Amino acid sequence: MRVQPAAQTGAEGRNDAVLRASHISVEYGGTVPTRAVRDVSIELHRGEMLGIAGESGCGKSTLAYALTRLLRPPAVMTEGQVLFCGRDGAAPIDIMQLEPEALRRFRWTVVSMVFQSAMNSLNPVISLRRQFSDIFEAHVPEMDREARDRRSRELLEMVGIDPSRLGGFPHELSGGMRQRVGIAMALALQPEIVIMDEPTTALDVVVQREILLEIARLRRELGFSVIFITHDLPMLVDLSDRLAVMYAGEIVERAPAEWVGGRPAHPYTLGLQAACPDLLGERRALQGIPGSPPDLRQRLRGCAFAPRCQYVFGPCADIHPVLSPLAPPAAAVIESVLDRDGGKTSKLNDWAVACHLHDRTANPAGPPDELAGDPLGTGGLVPPAVGAGLGVDPTGRPARGQDQL
Amino acid sequence: MSVLQVQDLTVDFAQRRGPKFRAVDHVSFELVAGETLALVGESGSGKSTIARALARLLRPTGGELLLHGRPVGHRGRKLRDYRREVQMVFQDPFASLNPAYTVGHHLRRPLRIYGHPRKGLEEVVEALLTSVNMVPATSFVSKFPHELSGGQRQRVAIARALATQPGVILADEPVSMLDVSIRLEILNLLDGLKRDRDLALLYITHDLATARYFSTQIMVMYRGEIVERGPADSVILRPAHPYTQLLEASVPGERTPHRLDELAPVRGAGGTNVILAAERAEATAATGCRFRRRCPHAMDVCSTHPVEQDLGDGHLVRCWLHDPKVREKSGDRAAPQQSAPSGA
Ligand SMILES: Nc1ncnc2c1ncn2[C@@H]1O[C@H](COP(=O)(O)OP(=O)(O)OP(=O)(O)O)[C@@H](O)[C@H]1O
Ligand SMILES: Nc1ncnc2c1ncn2[C@@H]1O[C@H](COP(=O)(O)OP(=O)(O)O)[C@@H](O)[C@H]1O
Ligand code: SF4
Ligand code: SF4
Ligand SMILES: [Mg+2]
Ligand SMILES: [Mg+2]
Repeated sequence: MRVQPAAQTGAEGRNDAVLRASHISVEYGGTVPTRAVRDVSIELHRGEMLGIAGESGCGKSTLAYALTRLLRPPAVMTEGQVLFCGRDGAAPIDIMQLEPEALRRFRWTVVSMVFQSAMNSLNPVISLRRQFSDIFEAHVPEMDREARDRRSRELLEMVGIDPSRLGGFPHELSGGMRQRVGIAMALALQPEIVIMDEPTTALDVVVQREILLEIARLRRELGFSVIFITHDLPMLVDLSDRLAVMYAGEIVERAPAEWVGGRPAHPYTLGLQAACPDLLGERRALQGIPGSPPDLRQRLRGCAFAPRCQYVFGPCADIHPVLSPLAPPAAAVIESVLDRDGGKTSKLNDWAVACHLHDRTANPAGPPDELAGDPLGTGGLVPPAVGAGLGVDPTGRPARGQDQL
Repeated sequence: MSVLQVQDLTVDFAQRRGPKFRAVDHVSFELVAGETLALVGESGSGKSTIARALARLLRPTGGELLLHGRPVGHRGRKLRDYRREVQMVFQDPFASLNPAYTVGHHLRRPLRIYGHPRKGLEEVVEALLTSVNMVPATSFVSKFPHELSGGQRQRVAIARALATQPGVILADEPVSMLDVSIRLEILNLLDGLKRDRDLALLYITHDLATARYFSTQIMVMYRGEIVERGPADSVILRPAHPYTQLLEASVPGERTPHRLDELAPVRGAGGTNVILAAERAEATAATGCRFRRRCPHAMDVCSTHPVEQDLGDGHLVRCWLHDPKVREKSGDRAAPQQSAPSGA
C-alpha cells in the first residue's frame, strides 16, 4: 500500500515547523539514571507525518513525550529546548516555560496522544458514551448533551465503528475495535499535534489502511501534524513524510520516508527492514537482528550499535558517530530524483545518518552498495564527502567525536 | 493426526438492545499434531472468540469440540482434562503475567494444580525455562515480570502454557506487541517447540507474512465465517476470495497481484470513505455473502449465502465466483485472476 503523504514537505513547508526541538536529553531518575534520549534535535513540520522507528527501549516514546511536555516523573528533561509555533501565527512558545494553566490547555487542545496500550487504556466498565462525554465536558463545556452525542457518533463512524455501539462498553469490543476508539478519542478536540504511539498493532491491514487514510485526510483538512511511532518500518515508509530511526536514545538515521524505502544508509535501518519478511518472496529462514539494544543506564562508548553490527570496523568501538547529512548525490541522479519528485531539492539535505561507514576519512572506500543511501536503488550516488561522519552536526554544534556519557 | 476437531462452532453474544450478535457462525476445522494452523482476518471477525471458545474461557452457543475424537465435557474432571490439554498464549505479555509473582511462581502454579508432586518441581521449572531459551534458568526463576523484557515475558507465558504438557496451543497474536526483531525469535521458538513436542498450534495473527512462513494451513476469517482456507502458500500466492485479495493488497510495502484501487475504491462521490460506510451497512446485512457491499465482483447470486468451493489441494473458498454453475453462466469470465501481476 502507499498512503499519499498529506504534508507539503517542499521548500516552503520546511520553514513551517510546529515544533522545533534542539539538543533534547531525557533521563529516568534512579540510583543509576537511564539516559533514554541523548542529545536529539528534530523538527516537526506543520501537517506532516513524522515517523519514529526503532526497537522497544530505544527511546521513541520518551522522545515523543518530551517533544510535547508529556513526560512524567521519574522522567526529567535534563537538557534542550522545544519551541511550539501555533496555527495562529503567534510568536513561538518555549513549552518548557508554560505555566500550569497554559500547560493544561496545551496538553489537551494542542497535543493529543494515542497511547501504545490504547487497547487497554479505556475504562472497561464505563460506557463509550460516558468516556467521550467526559472529554467534551472538560474541554468544551458549552457543548450540550445532544451535540456531544452527535460528535461522538461522528468520531466512531470515522474509525469504522458502528455508532450504535456508543452505548456499549469497551469489554464488548475486540482488541482492534478498542484501539480504534482510542484513535477517535485522540481526534475529538481537533488538536494541532497528534502523537500515535504504536496505535495499530492490533488491527488487520485493511482496517489499518482505512484508518491511516482517514488520518491522512483529516490531516489535510484540519492541518494537524502527526508523530507516528512504530517498529513496523515498511508501514512507516509507506505512511510518513519523514522518518527518524532511533537506536539507544539517539536518532541514527533521518530521511524522507520514501527514500529510505529505496535503500537505507544505516546498518540498523537495514536490519529493521530485513526483519520484516516480505509476503510473496521465496520461503527462507527468517532472522531478526541478533542481540538486543544496550542498557541505557550504561556509559556508551563509540557506536552503540557496534556489538550487533555486521559492518563494524576500526573507529566504531571508540568514536561516537554523529548524525550528519549524506553528501549530495551526483548531478545526474539529482536530476532524475527531482524529475520524479517534483523539484523538492530541500529533501536532499534532510537525509542524515550517524555511521562511520559514511565518513570518507574513516572509510575511504565509502559505504557498501546496500547502504549507499540511494533513493532510486540504482547505486548511482556519489559517496558522501570527506568528514561527513565526524564533522559538524546538522544543528551546528561541534561534534564531540568521543564517547558520550 | 487430528488432535482437536471443531464442528459448527457458533458463539452468540447477548446485546442490550436488539437480537443476539453472532460473533462466530458455524465454523469447522481441525488442529493437527505437529502442524500450525494460522487464523487471519478482519479485526472483530471472531478470531479471539474462537480461541476463547476452544480454551473454554467462554461457553459456545452451538457446535461440538472433539479432543482425540471424543466429545468434550462441560464440567468436572473431563473439562479439567481438556483444559490441561489445550493451553492459550495471549497477546499482551504485560497483562498476562501477575506483577506480584515471580517467574518461578507462574510456572509452579499450573504444575501443582495438575498434580505435580513437590519433589522435582524445581527441576521441571528449570527445564521449562530452558526449553524457551531462558538460560541459565536459575537466574530467571526468582525474577519478577517487571524485570523482564517483553520478549522474555512472552517466553515465560509460553513456558507456562507448556507446563501441563498440552497437545494443543492456542496463540492469540502472540507477537503483535513485540518488536520486529524479537518477533521472529519467538515464532521460531514456537515453531521448534511444535516440532519437538508434536504440538497442534493455532496461530492467530494480523501478519500475513509470518502466517505464511510459520504455518501449514491458513484460514481467513470475515464477519464470523471462514471465507477461505488451504495450504499456506496456496492461499497467500493464489488468494481466491476477494476479501483475501484485499487483505494482501493492503499489506504495507508489498506489490501484490491485486490492485488496491480496483479492490477498494476508497473515496465515493463527496469524498466519503466508501469502505467504512459499506462496512457499517454490512453489519446489518443478514443474508447473502457478507462481503458483497465491498466486493468489486458482487453479482445477483451473491444475495444468497455462498457455499464453500473446492479449488483442489484442500484450498477452499466461500465465494460464488468459484461456483461451477455461476462460472458456466457467465462464460467463465467470473473468476478473478488469481495471480497475474498487475500492480507493477
Ligand atoms: N463479551 C462480549 N460481549 C459482546 N460482544 C462481544 C464480546 N466479546 C466479543 N464480542 C464481539 O464479537 C466480535 C468478535 O470479537 P473478537 O474479539 O473475537 O474479534 P477478533 O477477530 O479477535 O478481532 P481483533 O483482530 O480485533 O482482535 C466483535 O464484534 C466483538 O465486539
Ligand atoms: N518510567 C520509567 N522509569 C524508568 N525507566 C524507563 C521508564 N520508561 C522508560 N524507561 C526506559 O527508557 C528507555 C526508553 O524507553 P521508551 O522511550 O519507552 O522506549 P521505546 O518507546 O522506544 O520503546 C528504556 O531503556 C526504558 O527502560
Ligand atoms: S558506526 Fe560502525 S558499528 Fe556503528 S553502525 Fe556504522 S559501521 Fe556499524
Ligand atoms: S460471493 Fe459474491 S459478493 Fe461475495 S465475495 Fe464472492 S463475488 Fe464477492
Ligand atoms: Mg514505546
Ligand atoms: Mg482478537
